[in-house]
Amino acid sequence: MPKLKVDGVEIEVPNGATVLQACELAGKEIPRFCYHERLSIAGNCRMCLVEVKPGPPKPQASCALPAADNQEIRTDSEMVKKAREGVMEFLLINHPLDCPICDQGGECDLQDQSVAYGRGGSRYHENKRAVTDKNMGPLIKTQMTRCIHCTRCVRFSEEVAGVDEIGALYRGESMQITTYLEHAAKHELSANVIDLCPVGALTSRPYAFEARPWELKKTLGIDVSDATGANIRIDARGREVMRVLPRINDDVNEEWLSDKGRYQVDGLTKRRLDRPYLRRDGKLQPASWNEAFAAIASLNPGNSIAAIAGDMVDCETMFAAKQLLGALGSTQLEGRQTGMDYATDSLAAVNFNSTFNGIETADAILIVGSMVRWEAPLVHVRIRKAVKRGAKVFLIGPEWETTCGGEFLGNDRALLGNLPGHVSDAFANAKRPAVILGGAGLGSGGLDAALAFAGSLNLVRDLEDGTKWNGFNVLHMAASRMGGLMLGFAQKGGIADLVAAKPKVVLSLGADEVDYAKFAGSMIVYIGHHGDKGAHAADVILPGAAYTEKAGTYVNTEGRVQFADKAVFAPGDAREDWTILRALADAFGVSVGFDSFDDLRTAMISAVPALGIEGLADYGSVLPSGGGSASGAIAYPIQDFYMTNPIARASAVMQRCSAELLHGEDLAEAAE
Amino acid sequence: MSVAQLVKSFTLWEFLKAHALTLKYFFKPKATINYPFEKNPLSPRFRGEHALRRYPNGEERCIACKLCEAVCPAQAITIEAEPRNDGSRRTTRYDIDMTKCIFCGFCQEACPVDAIVEGPNLEYSTETREELLYDKAKLLANGDKWERALAANLEADAPYR
Amino acid sequence: MTAFFQNLGMSYEWAWAIATICGILLIALPLMLGVAMIIYADRKIWAAMALRRGPNVVGPFGLLQSFADGLKVFLQETIVPSAANKGIFLIAPIVTFTVALLAWAVIPFNSGAVLADINVGLLYVLAISSLGVYGTVMAGWASNSKYPFFSAMRASAQMISYEVSIGFILICVVLWANSFNLNEIVLAQKGAGLGFVNGFWFNILLFPMWVMFLISGMAETGRAPFDLTEAESELVAGFQTEYSSMSFALYWLGEYANVLLMCALNATLFFGGWLPPFEIPFLYWVPGFVWLLLKILFFFFIFSWVKATVPRYRYDQLMRLGWKVFLPVSLGFVVLVSGWLMFTRYGA
Repeated sequence: MPKLKVDGVEIEVPNGATVLQACELAGKEIPRFCYHERLSIAGNCRMCLVEVKPGPPKPQASCALPAADNQEIRTDSEMVKKAREGVMEFLLINHPLDCPICDQGGECDLQDQSVAYGRGGSRYHENKRAVTDKNMGPLIKTQMTRCIHCTRCVRFSEEVAGVDEIGALYRGESMQITTYLEHAAKHELSANVIDLCPVGALTSRPYAFEARPWELKKTLGIDVSDATGANIRIDARGREVMRVLPRINDDVNEEWLSDKGRYQVDGLTKRRLDRPYLRRDGKLQPASWNEAFAAIASLNPGNSIAAIAGDMVDCETMFAAKQLLGALGSTQLEGRQTGMDYATDSLAAVNFNSTFNGIETADAILIVGSMVRWEAPLVHVRIRKAVKRGAKVFLIGPEWETTCGGEFLGNDRALLGNLPGHVSDAFANAKRPAVILGGAGLGSGGLDAALAFAGSLNLVRDLEDGTKWNGFNVLHMAASRMGGLMLGFAQKGGIADLVAAKPKVVLSLGADEVDYAKFAGSMIVYIGHHGDKGAHAADVILPGAAYTEKAGTYVNTEGRVQFADKAVFAPGDAREDWTILRALADAFGVSVGFDSFDDLRTAMISAVPALGIEGLADYGSVLPSGGGSASGAIAYPIQDFYMTNPIARASAVMQRCSAELLHGEDLAEAAE
Repeated sequence: MSVAQLVKSFTLWEFLKAHALTLKYFFKPKATINYPFEKNPLSPRFRGEHALRRYPNGEERCIACKLCEAVCPAQAITIEAEPRNDGSRRTTRYDIDMTKCIFCGFCQEACPVDAIVEGPNLEYSTETREELLYDKAKLLANGDKWERALAANLEADAPYR
Repeated sequence: MTAFFQNLGMSYEWAWAIATICGILLIALPLMLGVAMIIYADRKIWAAMALRRGPNVVGPFGLLQSFADGLKVFLQETIVPSAANKGIFLIAPIVTFTVALLAWAVIPFNSGAVLADINVGLLYVLAISSLGVYGTVMAGWASNSKYPFFSAMRASAQMISYEVSIGFILICVVLWANSFNLNEIVLAQKGAGLGFVNGFWFNILLFPMWVMFLISGMAETGRAPFDLTEAESELVAGFQTEYSSMSFALYWLGEYANVLLMCALNATLFFGGWLPPFEIPFLYWVPGFVWLLLKILFFFFIFSWVKATVPRYRYDQLMRLGWKVFLPVSLGFVVLVSGWLMFTRYGA
């Protein structure tokens, strides 16, 4: 624990801290461009210069200098001021003064720091350098003349994403950042380099010239494109969501966000259901709310009613539906649209127990039936971190490019009870072994087999340092899944139970993956926001709100309860989902016990107290013993990363990504 | 009340003096000008009707940086932007609500490319309110119409900036 | 004129009726025209004293400005407030306007050129001008709005106050002229001043009366500085607040007709009416109505001049002036004049 003085104030800093971190601990702001907490230290922008004694009589780059005992650091001396001004002047020599047309303008590190630390003007009168723009795909817009060579983007794709896509060419003033042979950046986290870029060299292509940061209303939300529950900030102008940015949450998404979560929002304005529809003479025709309600109520279903929750609904909506069905005397609730029927008696058995932070520390990981890169890109980042710490990764399932090594054992579920010797050895020797069971691994008895495996390997154990370790993880793909399971949206036989019950009315809460052909005799009431598969099959469409248009509670795959705020209003006649269900209760003539959103949330919390506390819900650490063995080949459910939900399917940006990044080669072949 | 005051008040002395003064002014030359036919000279800094200027090659100057929109204290300006086909940053919408505008001139001060300017024109009254909601076409047309005067004014004021 | 029509072969009754109608038209039409031009003149004089130009766009030198304004108000919609007493609301401006014209019946324009040569002409003028207040009060009441109502109350109090002193002033004139007939009052002024000046104003006892009459006339007609009835800083526009279009224009016409009447009375009662100003034979070559017109214009100039010079009175000052200065002074002068005449003309 070195003790040192920063601007005359003595502080103690942790071992291994840099001078820059020491200054931050002392509350001093150090300007920087290349340094980033989550990336390796490059030390090439020289903006963080400070005066350090003892040492050479010149300013030193604080980000790359270890803090040591008895150092005396000045961040406020004349020398530091001059050094910063000098560095800033050099940086601005080749930086164009095109802030007015730059999308970074208003949220640009270079802009802010040149105001705070730069000279008033430039003394450079020669020609500026110009660099040709590079192709980085449909998401990243480049303006490479603005680049100041901080190499954050290079380090991100190499270290965090694990793909060597971006690099630097040439040297000195001729240095250029580019993708390899100008291919598009293809991985699922590529757009994070836009946030990392301290200048306007890499900007968002879909958001190009759309809005200025000061025009945007910022709302804190939760991403629903996968079950990670990434924390996002929704930036809206007027009634339109302009963009989504990640928020920093070290427990969930660190400060990254998948491209889908970031760019599916343009789908929120397309293919929207903005008025009720009623199927008349076999065709969906616009109707009024009253007509739609009357049509449903006239069926007088009594307790012959079922509800299916979609992948993106919030807990409040599901709870409101549950209350409505409860008031009618029905418990036909289901959220697993694709027909899975794993047991949900113990929620710990279907939870990501290690937590995302914990999986980083695992030293042996077996991934069963999950294409983690597509099912949860942010979890894949964590697994990559674990691998960098020395973890061994084994996978069961069809092969995919992991970016972090790992050994594919085969494509048969039966392998779970019959692992090759070296794998068993690795797990037997591991201190923190973990199993990740993906969507494809859950079904066909996979959960029971995995639980048996967990029991045999003693995945739940007390570690030597006294902490508990639970290495049994289920990785879901739907943002609503854990919330739904907590609220009881699961039947013993899965959705087949609902089909067997032949309900008169099926309430579909934005469920678009269900095979509605099985509900041929039922009236399907679709409460959702996009004209997707569910709406096509529906007999009545009641337009609801998307995740940016309602406040809600979401539970991610590790059982983390998180709250989201409402950013914008739903378009047209669309209403927040719970109000629709409340009005439906009136149409049926029953009482659901809430009249306002606060009432609803209070009722939900009194029913499931864990939903009222932000953070990890406690499901206990006791796993059911499981048993039996699974068999059969694994097939991943996600065919196209960019097309997994109705919002993404409606999004032009996602369609373009899908076409160019995933099917680009097919298209090129077709063109030939 | 003294006798002098009494006399003054009964002879209306002060009223007579005042009337003498106004009568004197009656024959003096007028201070006002014959407005529609004579006009006062305007400062190059005069802040009149808005206009969007173009470059000499016909390219519109405005680059949709939205600084004018941000600085406008009356929030009279509304801008929407998108990349034009050639990739340049352009407005798809540039509206000024002239009924909101307070003619402070902040927009032209904020403009980095001298695109939005307040010209010398002060005679643009309309018969309906709607005509005062200027759109981009109207502003560009103003710019084309007044370009000569606008350029001259900017040049005259340039040494003092 | 009756004789003229009789010569055309009509019976006396018909000739009289037609002659009377012609007489009314001969007075009323030029009067209307005069009002239009006088409004223009008022604006011009006022503007000149404020170093402005006044109306100068419509017609040569802006001469047609009043007609343009008239056309404008004529084309506008008459708005009747929903809470107003509609009948009275619409009658009120007509009352004001009609009353303003009525008094002109007894003003002599030349020797014998008077519509109604009645022997109590002055009494008639007093009676009619007192009626003028009804137009204002009715407007204030019928508008059903607080500002017009305040204005109406002010107007009635103001007019009554100044009519009292006007009455005493006129008694002095009547005493001196020994007649209520306006024509005879004019004739009594022939050479009244040292046998040379035609007018009572040259008389040391009647000159103060003229000054007071002038001021009271302004108060009576609600002109500046006594325009408290439409004090825009307090009462929006006074009793005219709810009026628009032609009903508003009628008030304007009535007001200016009243002003012209006051000017004419000034000329008739103190400045020799249609007589030339001085008793010089060749001045009689100019027709009498021209002299009267010139005198009216002169007084109107004074009215405008005062309007351009003096700021508006406070209401308590107005009341004080009427009751505590003009009333005692004019009363005193009635005593003085009658006493003087008692000793000089009638030999005690």
